[in-house]
Amino acid sequence: MPDKLVSLEEALALVPDGCAITAGGFAHSHQPMGFFRALIAEGRKDLSIMGVAECWVAEWLAAAGMLRRAWFSNFMFEGFGRCRRFSEAIEAGEIETEDHSHFGMVMRLVAGGQRLPFMPVLSQGGTDIVSVAGFERPEDKVQSMTSPFPDGRVVTVTSPLNPDVAIIHAARADRLGNVQLFGASSVIEEQTGAARKVIVTVEEIVPSSTFRARPEATLLPGLMVDAVVHLPFGAWPTGVYGYHDPDLPFLRDYYEASREPAACKAWIDRHVRSPRDHWDWLDRAGIVRLLALRTDPVLGYRPAEDKS
Amino acid sequence: MSRDALMAAAAAREIGNGEVAFIGTGLPMVAAYLAKATHAPDVTLVFESGIIDPAPLELATGVGEYRLAYGATAIRGTRAALSLLQQGKVDIGFLGTAEIDAYGNLNSTAIGAYRRPEVRLPGSGGANDIASMAARTVIIARTGKRRFVERLNYLTTPGHLTGPGAREVAGLPGAGPVRVITDMGVLGFDPETLRMRAERLFPGVTMEALQAEIGFPLAPPEGPAQEPYPGSETIALLRHIDPEGTYVKLED
Repeated sequence: MPDKLVSLEEALALVPDGCAITAGGFAHSHQPMGFFRALIAEGRKDLSIMGVAECWVAEWLAAAGMLRRAWFSNFMFEGFGRCRRFSEAIEAGEIETEDHSHFGMVMRLVAGGQRLPFMPVLSQGGTDIVSVAGFERPEDKVQSMTSPFPDGRVVTVTSPLNPDVAIIHAARADRLGNVQLFGASSVIEEQTGAARKVIVTVEEIVPSSTFRARPEATLLPGLMVDAVVHLPFGAWPTGVYGYHDPDLPFLRDYYEASREPAACKAWIDRHVRSPRDHWDWLDRAGIVRLLALRTDPVLGYRPAEDKS
Repeated sequence: MSRDALMAAAAAREIGNGEVAFIGTGLPMVAAYLAKATHAPDVTLVFESGIIDPAPLELATGVGEYRLAYGATAIRGTRAALSLLQQGKVDIGFLGTAEIDAYGNLNSTAIGAYRRPEVRLPGSGGANDIASMAARTVIIARTGKRRFVERLNYLTTPGHLTGPGAREVAGLPGAGPVRVITDMGVLGFDPETLRMRAERLFPGVTMEALQAEIGFPLAPPEGPAQEPYPGSETIALLRHIDPEGTYVKLED
């Protein structure tokens, strides 16, 4: 199998202007922020997102003015509130939206990944998700149809979606692109199945023997992956299960800045656009800050009493 | 006695022992652990992040939090968690909302026109899936005329839609909402019309005071119906589950 290990710069080149992306993660976890920090620093325009829960990716792309369209089901910051720049860009007409339920969105990605013309779903029927147009015509998104089989049941069916690129942050990979992740796998299998190209950034590069010894723990086999980037703390300031907690004070600092457009722009310029590279981004955070996030291997998180 | 404690106790009471409950962040999480510590030790809790049947040592502040994952019997993907709903495995789900109408339909998408909203909200997430496919749902919503409205800005999440028969036509397998737990009392739905009605008022709350906070006519309870005070054991458990009062404040 070919060697998939590439530099961050090579991987960034797989995401051109106008690209439709999807990104891994859920809540304050496993979002490929290191990759998107670098993408924003390079600059892109007219990106689309086909997303389920990658709220921080959507928010930073919106804050950087790089996002045009969103097919999605829910972007919000657990424990904080609304994604301000994303939401206000929609209010200003700068980002077009197409809403789904989580399951509806996931099943469109499944249809896309499985080369199926549609997928039946038992949710969404009877609501404005199926009847109010975003940028798609409602009939291009969801319809009801009668089963061709004898029971003739009426079911809701939803059309496929194929992102151009999926960007995932995971725990570890080998050079062949085999990928392992601990904790909840969110929508990674469906996103990578539907995407035309798959980029995975990882905490660690390990030998293939690690996978061959426990193949049942592999989330993505190498044949699903186009590029692997070794990017330690590549999800920071979001967390990586088994490695480090989310950096909630840093995330909150962004959230507070995001209430006001000028303050948010200054925050993005200072923290996201000005680091020279990933290592400078981590250096600015500081090793004390990063190491303090490391999780207890038994609990899977850093217990409250250790945080003081 | 705080209204939060009354709400949490009322929400916990909706969960039956041995059931599978789909839980989100906030007051439902506290209510679910209260139920588990009291009358429903065998409830299985499921979260849209893919966490199944956890035994957390600390209250989590989100369904994606690593503290919540502790002691789980399974951690799977979002599709697997939501598929439990479509598979008919989920008995009860909890929902929150920005707007709710008389049929228990919910809006968590937009205030104003969809394409250029005055306020863009986070969107459905798993709420539509829970409301469509769980066997029954319970809505948690604080009162207020901007929340309890005659007409939603956007129908994100199905309640009883336009009334009897509408869910069947829409192909939704679940029965829809059975209860709306507010900060003034517990509401339900008239079995004939499927419109919301009052069922039990919190201590000190009158029907007039409740109606003044609801933007559509609400039928009064049939006969005297006051929500019981939670006992001291319940209060002690709430203090144990949510010591900081993050979701359930024990004093108003």
